[in-house]
Amino acid sequence: MNVDEIVSGLVLELRRGTLILLVLNQLQEPKYGYNLVKELQEHGISIEANTLYPLMRRLESQGLLTSEWDTAEAKPRKYYKLTTDGEIVLKKVKENWNCFSASVNQLLDEGGC
Amino acid sequence: MKNDLVERYIYAVTKKLPYKTREDVAQELETLIEDMLKERCGDITPTEKDVKVVLTELGTPTELYEQYAGDGKKCLIGPNYYHTYLFVLKLVLICEAVGLTIAQIVSAVVNGQELIWYMAIWQWFGMLLSGSISAFGFVTALFAFFEYKEISLDTNSGFEDLPPVPKKEERISKGETIFGIAISVIFLVVFLICPEIFTCGVIDGKMIPIFSTEVIKSTWYILFVFSALGITRDVVKLVDGKYTKRVMLTTLVTDILSAVCTVWWLTNKNIMNPEFTSSVSSLFEGDGAFIANVFANFQYFFMGVILFALLLDCVITVIKWAKYSVGK
Repeated sequence: MNVDEIVSGLVLELRRGTLILLVLNQLQEPKYGYNLVKELQEHGISIEANTLYPLMRRLESQGLLTSEWDTAEAKPRKYYKLTTDGEIVLKKVKENWNCFSASVNQLLDEGGC
Repeated sequence: MKNDLVERYIYAVTKKLPYKTREDVAQELETLIEDMLKERCGDITPTEKDVKVVLTELGTPTELYEQYAGDGKKCLIGPNYYHTYLFVLKLVLICEAVGLTIAQIVSAVVNGQELIWYMAIWQWFGMLLSGSISAFGFVTALFAFFEYKEISLDTNSGFEDLPPVPKKEERISKGETIFGIAISVIFLVVFLICPEIFTCGVIDGKMIPIFSTEVIKSTWYILFVFSALGITRDVVKLVDGKYTKRVMLTTLVTDILSAVCTVWWLTNKNIMNPEFTSSVSSLFEGDGAFIANVFANFQYFFMGVILFALLLDCVITVIKWAKYSVGK
């Protein structure tokens, strides 16, 4: 049994949905991709650009994000922002998360007794 | 600052993406790579090695493309249907094999004298192979269609949308649908390979088939459609597991189409075996004229039975749907 492999697989699964929640949460203000990567990293959440960029695009196609090119600067940048639907989704998923994580933490603290 | 390697990299990632997004993704990646290089090198001009490091961090073009392409429509039959698909596939293949074997044995018994055993086995094996391939193709196409439909229907997947658990009497029993599928497959196989199985006893020491073997073999496509409709109906029942609107509508449509097939097939004047008709009328001369008449019109009698069964199925399904699903 390869412990490391199983652990990294499980952690990946745990992170996947949580990252979406965080991305939605951080995009209440318009940001461009790399900006968000750095911001999340500052808070100890490591996310690769190659995960985040396609993810934001997917969320946009789902109607949760909207984007706009800013060509005023030297480099053209694509800014993403939460839509109204996205806000509703964020609110609901956040509620679920709070409820879920509280219960999970409580159970984990009890040590499985 | 255009870099050849970066350009090639971006082209490799975006070339297979949909046309609409290609340009946009390319632009975005270009800025991203510039940002990453700037972070790595500051104001110093990045070397080829720096570019390679940054690109390695982003992953191979194929990996990045996969991320952009997403895992949406990457499979013909997704996890929602996969288990049912496997189940139905096994069922259909088993029934097809059983039906073929029965049909082959019966036809061996009927044409006993002229048969060479190894030819019969070889023939059986050939039919098993082509039958299995057709069955596999049909079931796969059916489920691929379901998968396709489901994707276009199911865009929001909130937790609130989950349907309630059906009560026991609302459920369609799995046994019922399995039986239905099995009957459809066996019916098709037997009728196609060995219509002689519908032999009306022995008249004057000879087994005389009711239906004309040639006509049945030449109208195989009607039988195939008839069975395919039956299987589709049962698979939808199996997938939904209760009398949903979808089950109701599928049942109505497939029943009506089946009725059309039945009428089309059985109003063919040549479908009866002329030898059978004449033997029957000679057998029941005089007092038995009525019975002879019944047998002579067996095709219409047969048609009536099938149409009645289809009508009954429609009525029962609509009633059950109205009882269990309407207003919920």
